[in-house]
Amino acid sequence: MRPPAPLTEPIGSFIQSWARPACALSLKWVFAVVIATPILSGDARAAEQKGLLETMKRHSIITSTVPANGDQNPYAIVVAPVSAGKIQQGDVLVDNFNDRNNLQGLGTTIVDYNPTTKKLSLFAAIPRNLPQCPGGVGLTTAMTMLKTGWVIVGSLPSRDGTTKTKGQGCLIILDVQGNVSGTLTGPNINGPWGNMAVIDNGTTATLFVSNTGFDVGPPDDEPPVVNKATVLRIELSIPEGKLPTVTKETMIASGFGERADKDVFIIGPTGLALGNDGVLYVSDALGNRIAAIPNAATRADSAGTGREVTKDGLLKRPLAMIMAPNGHLLVTNGLNGQVVEIDPQSGTQIYARWVDANKAQSPPGSGDLFGIAMAPTGDSFYYVEDEVNMLVLAH
Amino acid sequence: MTTRCPFASRRGLLAATGGLLATAAVPLVAHASQEPDIEPFWGDHQGGIVTPQQRHTYFAALDLTAKRADDVVTLLRSWTVAAARMATGDTAQPLGADRSNPAGDSGDALGLPPSRLTITFGFGVGLFSKDGVDRYGLASRRPDALVDMPAFNGDQLVEGHSGGDLSIQACADDAQVAFHAVRQFVRLAYGAAQLRWVQSGFLPAYPAGETPRNLMGFKDGTINPKPPFPAVWVTDDGPAWMRDGSYLVTRRIRISLEHWDRTELDFQEEVIGRRKYSGAPLGGRNEFDTLDLDAMDQDGNPVIAENAHVRLAAPEANGGAEILRRAYSYNDGVNFTAERWPPWHQGLMYDAGLFFVAYQRDPRSGFIRIFEKMAKLDALNQYTTHVGSALFACPGGVQKGEFIGQRLFEIA
Repeated sequence: MRPPAPLTEPIGSFIQSWARPACALSLKWVFAVVIATPILSGDARAAEQKGLLETMKRHSIITSTVPANGDQNPYAIVVAPVSAGKIQQGDVLVDNFNDRNNLQGLGTTIVDYNPTTKKLSLFAAIPRNLPQCPGGVGLTTAMTMLKTGWVIVGSLPSRDGTTKTKGQGCLIILDVQGNVSGTLTGPNINGPWGNMAVIDNGTTATLFVSNTGFDVGPPDDEPPVVNKATVLRIELSIPEGKLPTVTKETMIASGFGERADKDVFIIGPTGLALGNDGVLYVSDALGNRIAAIPNAATRADSAGTGREVTKDGLLKRPLAMIMAPNGHLLVTNGLNGQVVEIDPQSGTQIYARWVDANKAQSPPGSGDLFGIAMAPTGDSFYYVEDEVNMLVLAH
Repeated sequence: MTTRCPFASRRGLLAATGGLLATAAVPLVAHASQEPDIEPFWGDHQGGIVTPQQRHTYFAALDLTAKRADDVVTLLRSWTVAAARMATGDTAQPLGADRSNPAGDSGDALGLPPSRLTITFGFGVGLFSKDGVDRYGLASRRPDALVDMPAFNGDQLVEGHSGGDLSIQACADDAQVAFHAVRQFVRLAYGAAQLRWVQSGFLPAYPAGETPRNLMGFKDGTINPKPPFPAVWVTDDGPAWMRDGSYLVTRRIRISLEHWDRTELDFQEEVIGRRKYSGAPLGGRNEFDTLDLDAMDQDGNPVIAENAHVRLAAPEANGGAEILRRAYSYNDGVNFTAERWPPWHQGLMYDAGLFFVAYQRDPRSGFIRIFEKMAKLDALNQYTTHVGSALFACPGGVQKGEFIGQRLFEIA
């Protein structure tokens, strides 16, 4: 398969040959992107390196993410910062949003891929009905592992796979063995959804979590956009050997669009990434923009929907987002299989790259890319392909 | 079951695509007017396995409620007699003259020709033990090959389409003849066994010599095993009662036809590994060209994709593993369905697809080996969902005076 020409963004002309992926499990559409003609849109003629994406030569399938209970739809990716309990440093944790019947908001598992042994194991199987988590458990893209070993993961649950039966959800705290040790709930937490940004100081930590559940109704007819999604800063105290406790909650951004969706469950701010300058970047899916929340770690008030960094262009419903070591944002699109690289300082969209050109979706790769995480080496990134339940490494 | 070569008097194999979605699995759909109307019942092998495929199937799985082995034997004796009668176009039992009692047959096939009816009986795990209970003293005689089917990636199995203690595959060129047969067996089983699930299926009526198309619009014959079918028949590698028998795997595979119909033609062909209209393998020109799995394009990409259905199902890609596919299409209306792929459509969708039926000497080296990889990698998995699964041990054929599976019970 070739990257579909009709979907090529304002062209670039940076076309080069790419090495064949070494992984025997690579699917053809992955092959195609890698082998054929990955197209970097934008002006990349110059000899100097513009960004990270052009250095990626291969896309290798790493593992299926389906655990024994059949959960589907991999969402969050977290690379373990430390070794603790079941987890080895550098392991890749992936959670699942769907159950084995593929109903959204019913996934309860986190799998652990060890890059050394190349084995996938089950880290956590959380009870579907967790009394402390209103509505039950359906694991979202909000997940992190702290240096102290605690794993914190968001739940935006449903009983029937739609927002008709959506619960308020919670943040679930797991110990190093994957056991539920506690939950975080409250009026500020409703559908914790987006990739979690974190400042981890060991005995204290600050979590940034987007909430997309406020006043979202069933997905009937044409559900309205509700401008009530928030970004919550949660400050934790983590005494040695003790469960993290919340010391402060501050809503630092609010008014983002959120909407029920018959097909994709819910649409709202999904990507959160911290810059070195204390700015929190938010991928505003419905606004088709990236927003900046200044002084995210310290501000005492809401910045509303923040300062607009960039909008439209290569962005097609931005979802997952990370900060690359070069200071650029890597943003996955929800409406095609591209990753967009953005310089947040200038607001420039540098280029986009097809990482999933699977034409079983239209446009190719749409709806597939919910999780992205830098690998420890800093020169490659993991991403999930939801449509085939695979963890892939771009390197 | 027959001792003659079932293909000897028929057209040669219409080899085309292989794979799970091989609708005309044995591409031997005989034009009714050219074929004998009666398939023999007695013989070394059961009929309905290598028999040229009939146009219709009605398949039933039953759960045993009988308390004693003798009751099971009684049931199998009555089934054997009825099967032999119906294969010749007769009623299941004599109709009788007593109008004050139910007749010996429901009568809905009276006047219909035999329509090449075959009946294939199978034994599920539940015959040997159920919930840990050895109900009939047969637990020690469960064949090693009659395994508990493993869970495959993407399985969405429904209890109502899976498992069963006994199976009956009725195939005929007339749908009513096939249904009639199962209906009589179920009636004969009252008090000893009850229905667990049923599935009807059909093949299109393409002219003789033309490979049928499946519901995805692709010509779908097969690269099926050929006589003398070493990959199909159990020999001395299992218990004596299974000699000349075979293991039957059924999978009810729902095809997301709505999703498929919205997919570009070239991607459909890439997924399957064949041209849609001609049936030629990618890289070939004609339908019957050899599947060249080593062919590369000018860029070094495999011409038939690494995850193409035909590649992953091919014996060459599975250490030579072969199974005899004998599948039928099914169309059971619409159901509420949540698709397994982005954009995660939910709603009323066709409950249609393929009732996959495969016979093999040992499922561990047959279907399970082949499908374990396909379940993870097959590009077609984005369009197909396995919602039913069952495995049955089909004993060897029946000689006159015997009943089906007699050798199993003789040693019990």
